[in-house]
Amino acid sequence: MATSAIALFGDSHAALAAARELTSAGFAAPTVISPVPLEAAEEVLGKKTSVIKRFTFFGALLGSASGFLLAAGTAVLYLHPTGGRPIITLPPFLVITYEMTILFGILSTVIGFLVSARLPAIRDRAYAPEAAVDRFAVAVTCDDGEGFQRAAQILREAGAEEVRNEAVSS
Amino acid sequence: MSETDLRYADVNRDIVRSLVETGPRYYITLGCAVGVALLCFFFPWFYQLNLGIGAAGMNHPQVWGTYEAGFIFWIGLSHSGTLLSCVLHITRSSWRKAMYRSAEAMTLFSLVIAVTMVMVHLGRPWFIHWAFPYPNQMGLWPNFRSPLLFDVTAIATYLTGSSVFIYMGSIPDFAAVRDRTTGWRRHMYTLLSLGWRGTDTEWHRLGWAYTLLAVLIIPLAVSVHSIVSWDWAMSIVPALHQTIFAPYFVVGAIYSGTAGIVTVMFLLRKFMGFEKYITELHFDNLGKLLLALSLIWTYINVLELFTGWYSGASSEIEALKYKLFGYYAPLYWEMILFCAIAPLLLASKRFRTSFGPMLWLSIAINIGMYTERFLIVGTSLSRKYLPADWGLYVPSLVELSILVGSIALFSTLFLLFVKIFPSVSIYEVKETLHEPAVSPERSGAAGSAAAGGDRWQPAR
Amino acid sequence: MTAKEPARKQEEPASSLAEKWREFRRPGYYQEFDYDWTMTVDLDRCMGCEACVTACKAENNLPIVGEKGFAQGREMQWIRVERYWEGEYPNVKLRFIPMMCQHCDAAPCETVCPVTATYHNQDGLNVQVYNRCIGTRSCAVYCPYEVRYFNYYDHRWDSPLEQQLNPDVTVREKGVMEKCTFCIQRIRQAKDLAKDDGRRRVRDGEVVPACVQACPAEALVFGDRKDPDSRVSKSLSDPRGYRVLDELNTRPSVIYLKKVTV
Repeated sequence: MATSAIALFGDSHAALAAARELTSAGFAAPTVISPVPLEAAEEVLGKKTSVIKRFTFFGALLGSASGFLLAAGTAVLYLHPTGGRPIITLPPFLVITYEMTILFGILSTVIGFLVSARLPAIRDRAYAPEAAVDRFAVAVTCDDGEGFQRAAQILREAGAEEVRNEAVSS
Repeated sequence: MSETDLRYADVNRDIVRSLVETGPRYYITLGCAVGVALLCFFFPWFYQLNLGIGAAGMNHPQVWGTYEAGFIFWIGLSHSGTLLSCVLHITRSSWRKAMYRSAEAMTLFSLVIAVTMVMVHLGRPWFIHWAFPYPNQMGLWPNFRSPLLFDVTAIATYLTGSSVFIYMGSIPDFAAVRDRTTGWRRHMYTLLSLGWRGTDTEWHRLGWAYTLLAVLIIPLAVSVHSIVSWDWAMSIVPALHQTIFAPYFVVGAIYSGTAGIVTVMFLLRKFMGFEKYITELHFDNLGKLLLALSLIWTYINVLELFTGWYSGASSEIEALKYKLFGYYAPLYWEMILFCAIAPLLLASKRFRTSFGPMLWLSIAINIGMYTERFLIVGTSLSRKYLPADWGLYVPSLVELSILVGSIALFSTLFLLFVKIFPSVSIYEVKETLHEPAVSPERSGAAGSAAAGGDRWQPAR
Repeated sequence: MTAKEPARKQEEPASSLAEKWREFRRPGYYQEFDYDWTMTVDLDRCMGCEACVTACKAENNLPIVGEKGFAQGREMQWIRVERYWEGEYPNVKLRFIPMMCQHCDAAPCETVCPVTATYHNQDGLNVQVYNRCIGTRSCAVYCPYEVRYFNYYDHRWDSPLEQQLNPDVTVREKGVMEKCTFCIQRIRQAKDLAKDDGRRRVRDGEVVPACVQACPAEALVFGDRKDPDSRVSKSLSDPRGYRVLDELNTRPSVIYLKKVTV
């Protein structure tokens, strides 16, 4: 049965050092839970790339296309001569295109964020409420009890104030 | 925030306290706001819906009045919060962190009030959905060539964008509050926080998404008020048909919005107990920004007169004369006093860092900016081309009451906001603090790892 | 039927994308409007009697706003006679300009309406769809001629005055913009009549708007500019012709006849 070892640290340095120790000891992908974003986390846990910017880019492209299609399509489908202007009037339709580009860009960024951050969380995950206040937590998944003991040992040596054992459903 | 004795846990405690501990003063204020909103906004509006727009003072040449002026005013007020927050976020200015949440809320609620003002303004607001493209049995969609429909798309986008932006920035704080509350609040924050834990991956994704949103919202905000200005500038009315209107409106909007932020910051600091978070530094920086904006605004305002005069067209000259010396001239000079002359006081650092005077100046600026919007409607529509149709417009009691009521409505929304949203960002304020050093041997190492070192600098 | 039918180009449906694009870049969806209704106003004949105003009020169910409404500047006059004094006392002259919707070909009011409540119909008229109007009043702001009138109230007609309402014209609700239609109900009747007679076009003189009918001095002439033999086409060749605020490029369909001396 897989369990999760969660260790609490008083500062981010110690937490990151512990995460590094765990990785070199062969544990898979420890998670650092912190009350503030840690820029140093990437150096320890490996460089992260995110798909969000792709979501934004393609969402915005889709928005441009659909914005222009919305305006021009409406004008073509519901023909109403107004003000002696052409049916497909470029300057005003470009304004609509611009706004829709941004609207779709924003919405797809949100979707990209939710997808890539795996939110909203449906199942319970390893978590320590103290990490939302002033503690830095390191969580690591262990295969069995022996793995947990080994992880706990490493974490305590790295200066953990407390190590908890949480069962995780995976 | 020179007192670096503030600890991580203090931030959580202070801000959660601002959410859950509610004194009688809050309820009295909220009750007053709701009462005034009902009495001064909804009751007259109901009366006007029954009677027709005739309840307002508008007449034949002047078909637009204070409702339209109110619409631009509220849109303008919305133009600083999110925009300023985005600009300061991508330029990594740390003084943003304590104030951006409530500034963004101001954006959101001003926008809501602006949309309400459109509803009040319309002759038949019960058909407002006709301005949206939706499948219908009438076989007709709106006219995308209309500047008013640019407004619809721009404001819909801005409303979406700013609510997403404020929400996304609050997710970690909802999670922090979730862990410290009980009862219905815990349920609400559990839902709102989406199960946020604060893992390294989540922070990384949030950072990306937040920055991308900021980058998208900056051009959006600029476009929104340009588009609002085109409601006027696209017409061929003398004194309105000017290319300078888009930058003029954008600068005016940021100007009045920044003044609005000063007002809100003062009230939050005073009545929500955020003295430790909102400090002289913020007022100093906002004061500098206001000074710069007031100078730009004055420049464009003079230039607007100049372009009208330079055209030499009789209609433009007449509109100009009427604006400067006509019936509404006292209002014009009041606007110049409040928005161009009084803000020069901001050149003094002592003025910028004294809270009381800053409050009064910010209110004066917004009165001046409302006057500006009123004058745009009032002076130009009363002096159009045909002299036989020159007219005069004086707002009715219903209109004035709705103006007061809209402020009460805004206050109501804001008062509800401060009890639901952590009105100062918990995690971003923490980023500016020293890490909690639990034991002496670790305190030396603390700090350098946190948040790129853009530490809160004590006020110079 | 003597009027020459204007040749309507029967175009093949556009085949290539480029042709389609060009087609949609042309103003209007009709290759050409069916009619080009035009009015000329001879200002040298106008004596400011306001018979046209009264006739229009009766024909188009215009409400009487009363003394208070008038003082508030909310009178409804689809056609009004503007007065201008020229010179200083005692050498003064009084000038009149009847002002009604100019039915501009490039109407500023049409582009600004967010819900297409005002647009150009197949007769080349600037029409207002009351049922579609949501009352933004932006069209009235954009109109340089100030000829759009807004219903500030639900107007009532005291009994038995409601009996004299014209059944061919709707009574407008509060919150709706309205303006001169060139008596579109009469144009529709004339077109129906022409169709019943098996004609494709309305003859000159069959459509007479109420103001034209009432003008004792025959200062107003109405007709189809596409018909070169119509009275209005002939009066168009009058060298005195000018358009009000021509410099705004709204291309009005109302032409005033008066030697402009300034």
